Amino acid sequence: MDRLEHLTQSYSQAPWRKQLQIIGVFLLVLVFVALISGIYLNVSARAAKAGRAIQDMQSDIEALGLDIEDRQSELAMILSSRSMEERAIAMDFEVVETDEIVYLTVPGYTERQSVILAPISERVIVKAPVMPPEYTESLFTWIKRQAGQFALFRISEVRP
Amino acid sequence: MIEHEHFRRYAFLSVLLFVIPALIAVQLIRVRLDPNMAKDFRIIGPLFETEQHLVTPARGQILDRWGNLLAGNRTVYEVSVELKQVKNPQTIALTLKTVLGEDYDEILARASGLKSEGLLNVVLVDNVSQTDIDDLKFVQEQMQAAYGNNNAEGAPSLSGLRFTPHLGRIYPEKTLASNLLGFVGRDSRGYFGIEERYNDLLAGKPKMILVSRDPNRVRENPSVPDGASLVLTLDRAVQQKMEEVIDAAIIETGSSSGTLLVMDPRNGEILALATTPRLDLNEFWQYSDLFSEEAPYNRGISQAYEPGSVFKVLTMASALDDGAVKPETVFVDTGAIEVGGVTIYNWNSGAWGPQDMLGCMQHSLNVCLAWVATQIGANDFYRYLQNFGIGHATGVDMAGEASGRLKIPGDTDWFAADLGTNAFGQGVAATPLQMGTAISAIANHGKMMAPHIVRSVVSEGYQHDIEQRVLGMPVSAETADTLSNLLARSLETESSDALVTGYRVAGKTGTAEIPTPFGYTTNQTNASFVGWGPVDDPRFLVYVWLEKPATSPWGSIVAAPVFRRAVEELVVLINLPPDDVRRQLNGN
Repeated sequence: MDRLEHLTQSYSQAPWRKQLQIIGVFLLVLVFVALISGIYLNVSARAAKAGRAIQDMQSDIEALGLDIEDRQSELAMILSSRSMEERAIAMDFEVVETDEIVYLTVPGYTERQSVILAPISERVIVKAPVMPPEYTESLFTWIKRQAGQFALFRISEVRP
Repeated sequence: MIEHEHFRRYAFLSVLLFVIPALIAVQLIRVRLDPNMAKDFRIIGPLFETEQHLVTPARGQILDRWGNLLAGNRTVYEVSVELKQVKNPQTIALTLKTVLGEDYDEILARASGLKSEGLLNVVLVDNVSQTDIDDLKFVQEQMQAAYGNNNAEGAPSLSGLRFTPHLGRIYPEKTLASNLLGFVGRDSRGYFGIEERYNDLLAGKPKMILVSRDPNRVRENPSVPDGASLVLTLDRAVQQKMEEVIDAAIIETGSSSGTLLVMDPRNGEILALATTPRLDLNEFWQYSDLFSEEAPYNRGISQAYEPGSVFKVLTMASALDDGAVKPETVFVDTGAIEVGGVTIYNWNSGAWGPQDMLGCMQHSLNVCLAWVATQIGANDFYRYLQNFGIGHATGVDMAGEASGRLKIPGDTDWFAADLGTNAFGQGVAATPLQMGTAISAIANHGKMMAPHIVRSVVSEGYQHDIEQRVLGMPVSAETADTLSNLLARSLETESSDALVTGYRVAGKTGTAEIPTPFGYTTNQTNASFVGWGPVDDPRFLVYVWLEKPATSPWGSIVAAPVFRRAVEELVVLINLPPDDVRRQLNGN
């Protein structure tokens, strides 16, 4: 019996060793979880930072949009026909008379073209029908439209 | 004892760790099983994840054919109060009254009296300019410096005042082309002209969007495209010059109003439409002061009038095309003709004897033209007029177009005598644009193009050109060219004031009596002139209308010189050389 006990004792681990193993496994899991969490946190933080930067830039775009519109309008005011005329008069420009104009053929010169603000679309917009809506809409729709326009205009617009 | 205590603590912790997940699991199952609860959570959930934003796209710009900005945007501010933050509404009301000129009582009521209704934020004023906001901010800073630390009841404070920027409309050219452009009101809606007609396109589609608070979902935020921009057929320089010409003519002739239309008859493009009165579009609220009840916003498209003898162009075109007369047909003018029981006389009540069609047009003989109409016959005459678009709106792309009035056989108010009077432009009403469009068919070899003001639409990165449309071919090319030459010779023979040195032009004067409820006026007229040129290759059509000129009632005296002055300016601005130079250059 003593011998058996001795044998069991020999092959069984000491309690401290068992605890150490459990702690080791726990720490391993903990380190693994921490590692994964760290990576996740790092990626999320970077993503959030980038997202926040995008939000800031979107806000900047909005502010710049307002600024661009302001500047365009300011430029248009400076270049308005009245301002240009006043400046031309101040600079002693003279109005050209018809009989003072000399017309020449300049090889390679192309006639001034209408403004192109964006790539020309292949699609040509077919305008609204020649017939105004009064000729095509029902009486009810016409009355509704007229009443709507009249009411809107009277209520919200004509006021000093 | 200590072990027992430990056991209790462990047991409590275990129960807690079990119960909390269990409760979460139970709640999840409840939510899953109860469709109403799930639905509620689906609605409530996003409210915490996102915030609602009303995105109003920037209103599209309006530019002339060369890219000059006619209508743009600028930053304006909405002035509001955050009611919880407001300490002294009287100070706010007084400041807004002083700086912006707002009504004290109204602002005070808004800034103080609505807390009970559960409101958080109240808009006090909108569309406030940057300059005014700078002034308000200055006052706010000064007040903060002076009374910032004073928490006593009733101490002056602008606390709670908020300024939110957004875009508002601006018109850099002020009054220029105001009758064509229209304006955008306080409600951000377009009124009159292009702004009204193209309101939906220009304004874009305001959209309520949910913006995620989570920066990781920033890519999910939807973008709202801006409103489309419009490139017009209008030439800013031509428009400005035509406005100067018509303004000078109104003063010179003492007319009550004036309208000057410039079109390209080859494609229906409106190069300029100058009329009166004109509104500074940046101060659109002056509208009701400037326009009396009967004054239309744009006389060129909205006011139909009896055009008088310029209408004879259409009568003669119909007769030549119909074969009822030829240019060399001779009519013996006895000074009077009876049509439908009504006797028609010439403008000078005289008899002009034998006249060919050139003479009839040159001397503008009512009797001859009434006879010509009878030669065509009522049915064919009115069929031609309808083909010319008289009595129908042209469909021009501006709001507020009038359709005019053409009585035709079968109408209860049509009488046989109308055939005679309509022949010389009385008893029929048309707008200057209708007249210009109809007569452009004669200038453009019989082909009548649809008048239009918008040339291209710029939307979502592309420029879409608008199709030019043919409204019809009311007369043959041969008829149109014959009449053009006949009217050019008519001007040359009478040495008209409309003649332009270096350019062969065709045209016709018009002097019309004005109908009133008591019959036609005798001392007030509508004086008109329509002309186009160069006759061999028409590039412009100019229509002049002076309402009630005081210096002379006759179109030949007051309106014809306006045409000449307009064309003299126009040919320089559109780089059109005199006929001989043009032929020479083309020959090279």
